Amino acid sequence: MISAERPQGTSVGKSVRSHEAPRHASGRGHFVDDYRLPGMLHAAVLRSPHPHARIVGFDVTEALGLPGMVAVLTPDDVRSMSRPFAPGRYAAGLRTPVPEYASAVDKVRYVGEPVAAVAARDAATAEDALDRIVVEYEPLPPVVGTSEAMRRDAPLLYEELGTNVPWRGAVSYGDVDAAFREAELVVRDRLKMHRYSSVPLETFACIASADPTNATLTVWVNAQVPDVIDDALREGLGLRDVRIIIPDIGGGFGQKIHLIRKYVLITALLSLKTSRPVKWVEDRSGHMMAGGHACAQEWDVEAAVQRDGTVLGLRVRETDDVGGSISTLTIHFTNKLNNLFNTYTTQHLSLEGSSVVTNKCPVVPNRGIGKPGMCFVWERTMDRVAQTLGMSPVEVRTVNLIPSDQFPYQTPNGNIYDSGDYAGMLRRAMERIGYEELREEQARLREQGRCLGVGLAVAVEPGGRNAARDLALFPGIKGVSGSGGVNGATIRLERSGMVTLLLGSPNCGQSHETTTSQIVGDVLGLSPDRISVISPFDSEVAPWGSAAANSGNNFHLYDIGAAHDAARKLRERILTLAGHLLNTDPEDLVLEDGAVSRRSRGTPDQDGVGPSHAPSPHSPTPRLTFAELGRVAYGNQALLPKGFEPGLQETSYYTFPHAEPFVVPDEQGRVRAQFTFSAAVHIAVVEVDPATGEVEVQRYLIVSDNGTIINPSVVDGQIYGSAAHGISVALGEAFVYDEDGRLLTLTLTDYGKSTALETPRIEVEHRPMPSPFTTLGQKAAGEGAAIPSPAAIASAVEDALQPFGVRVRELPLTPEAIWRLIGSSAR
Amino acid sequence: MTSEAPVKHAVRVQVNERQYEEEVEGRRLLVHFLRETLGLTGTHVGCVVGECGACSVLLDGSVVKSCLVLAVQADGRAVVTIEGLERNGSLHPLQESFVSRYGLQCGYCTPGMILTALDLLARNPRPTEDDIRHGLAGNLCMCTGYMQIVEAVREAATVLAGATPDLA
Repeated sequence: MISAERPQGTSVGKSVRSHEAPRHASGRGHFVDDYRLPGMLHAAVLRSPHPHARIVGFDVTEALGLPGMVAVLTPDDVRSMSRPFAPGRYAAGLRTPVPEYASAVDKVRYVGEPVAAVAARDAATAEDALDRIVVEYEPLPPVVGTSEAMRRDAPLLYEELGTNVPWRGAVSYGDVDAAFREAELVVRDRLKMHRYSSVPLETFACIASADPTNATLTVWVNAQVPDVIDDALREGLGLRDVRIIIPDIGGGFGQKIHLIRKYVLITALLSLKTSRPVKWVEDRSGHMMAGGHACAQEWDVEAAVQRDGTVLGLRVRETDDVGGSISTLTIHFTNKLNNLFNTYTTQHLSLEGSSVVTNKCPVVPNRGIGKPGMCFVWERTMDRVAQTLGMSPVEVRTVNLIPSDQFPYQTPNGNIYDSGDYAGMLRRAMERIGYEELREEQARLREQGRCLGVGLAVAVEPGGRNAARDLALFPGIKGVSGSGGVNGATIRLERSGMVTLLLGSPNCGQSHETTTSQIVGDVLGLSPDRISVISPFDSEVAPWGSAAANSGNNFHLYDIGAAHDAARKLRERILTLAGHLLNTDPEDLVLEDGAVSRRSRGTPDQDGVGPSHAPSPHSPTPRLTFAELGRVAYGNQALLPKGFEPGLQETSYYTFPHAEPFVVPDEQGRVRAQFTFSAAVHIAVVEVDPATGEVEVQRYLIVSDNGTIINPSVVDGQIYGSAAHGISVALGEAFVYDEDGRLLTLTLTDYGKSTALETPRIEVEHRPMPSPFTTLGQKAAGEGAAIPSPAAIASAVEDALQPFGVRVRELPLTPEAIWRLIGSSAR
Repeated sequence: MTSEAPVKHAVRVQVNERQYEEEVEGRRLLVHFLRETLGLTGTHVGCVVGECGACSVLLDGSVVKSCLVLAVQADGRAVVTIEGLERNGSLHPLQESFVSRYGLQCGYCTPGMILTALDLLARNPRPTEDDIRHGLAGNLCMCTGYMQIVEAVREAATVLAGATPDLA
């Protein structure tokens, strides 16, 4: 270490001018569909109209006769030209391997499943051609609900598995049976969450450009996780040279991690078949049918409780409706390891799971993946315990919250919560919302027959993925998963004196360019607007590793860590070079405003000894600009210090330095699922109209701990957006199937997405508790508010309807659902 | 249904104060005409059925969803897209407020959101928060929860109230 001096800059903590926003506000964003390559063809995908059917015949003659048509990709082509996807960690629970190709090859298992694709001179011709492909199906009885699917005589989606429940498993920590023996009472409930998604405004899009003569392939794709695409193309096509370019992504939220690989592979096959670049852009109804849904989950919950409200243990049986694919069999279960104990001191917990395949859209990661479900279980249970004991929901939670003096806190399943003050946040939230006054107001309104409700949810927001997590459940997947996480960043002081930064991950709207420019700007004493962050992501250029993912709340840990480390290394090199050129001990130099100068002192101890090239060698403060350093580093060998490698470029790969213990599971199955733990308290104040079942969210308050805040506007934006999503999920968003397995919600309106009108104002108050383990004390901010918000709304609606004795056990709380709840309780 | 020799229609349209004359198929949507024929890719496609607002543009000064308008319907009319808002290399005050107030995340809804807000401010220069939320209800954003978008529009209203808007 040359200098331990703290960065001079102070942009961290400020909402500096955004790097990304000007290009988007001026229409200069670069999304996949904005790219055009010479000779490019346009693809369209033929989708299954059946929820469950065997493909028995295929005729493409008429389609091929259409002018402008170039190629058709049939199931036979897919089978002969590509290999099935290797079962990845999302399907780790699968004991018998089931080959899954990019398209259906023998059977279709959900409406919208791709069965064929065409490439034509333009998109309209491609669409026209789909009408001329004749597929003969032998319809099979659809299996729509999980209870139906689990019946012994149910039709099978995968005959080779002999069951529609390809995975059952359990985790258990502590001594759950003993907790239940010891408990003074047991509180039981049956809860449910439904199918929803984040419906990114930009659908899947891909351009594939293959060179079959050279076995190379370049794809432009709006994928969140490059290694999913990389693996799919390398393994599926047997290509070694695959280049993935990820430009701006029009919203990800998990939707663009997994199923998108099918379509990239299909587009690549069309490009290989035609030797021309091919573009495919998903249409909205295709995305709704087949782009992936969050898993519908059902739980039987039992809590072992003491009369003072202490929850000694929790026993949860979960059933996951994973839809018509085995490729994401266990993700909604395994992600519950991340927030298994939420914010509570409970020591004994068992979670049993069953994953059930049904003739519905496959499930995919979605903002929190399973964690909103785990939080829903905990928070509904806390309310239920309060009701059973006649305690306030605030009091019950307070009894069970992890005390602030116990951090870092180790949960029984091996998570280490880095920092937090949950009780302090809860107290502050109660104070700010005016809890006591609201209770009085509620009583007054009830006398007038009006239903005001106050709901509460507390949650951790885990951040920074550990790839070895799933080994706790599936020790056999060692080769697939790895452990911890790695991602990189490269920083370069250019010849011109500009600083460019290259990140190891794509960006889908979380201001990664802005945030990292602040981090490295502070290290280099440079204003963030003088740092150019390179976009798009290019897999052949970016320093990426296993944690290169716009997913898992990874950015704050891996990308920031790598960018900061790379900037520190560059800073040391700059100081070494400048020290040599200024003939000064680097310890006495400072970086400021894009220049290196001698630290100002009372009396300059030395003057005029700089080398001849230095500007104003006789000035009292010798100074070198970054541009002057750049010219030396890239072009003036004679001035370089002995042994100094020319150029000023540094790359750092970051792994979390405090990943031990439990970076891999111990014999008790304890493993760090994620590495940092933000937290939040959500309070919802709603009024329910009992006549119509409508819910008005009057206030929505979040007291949030995201550790050190690098850019307040960015963090606020992530909180607002994820809360708005969770609230919309609780109040109406849903994928609805009829009893024949047909999706009824093919448009955004039918799906029930909240607009600016229904989305409430969200109040955010920050109570940052910096992590002692991360680069700047930062923790995650991304998925966060989508985790507790469904539970907070459920809590508020139930509270509002207390005069009717209503119990909210499932979502969404549409007017109809509420009207039915009131009706059923009145009878 | 045949596309043997699609009949083409002449479309004369002014886009961002520039005159264009193109031959298009009758079924060509205005959004595809702008993006593909003219290369103005700032107008985005989110649903093609008029639900999301990502393709909003101004047609003769009023906001329309360009996926619900055929290119031939724009014949003889004037269109303003996001690319037409800046002046002399400077962002329009409304664009500037979306930047300074972080009124966007992924940026996909942003052009449509800005053109819709421009139309709103032209009709109602001093909107309340409620007015803004009503005005933007036809434009979906999946990222922001609308908070910073509303703030951006409000700020732009204040800035524009002190200036003469040169558009809409």
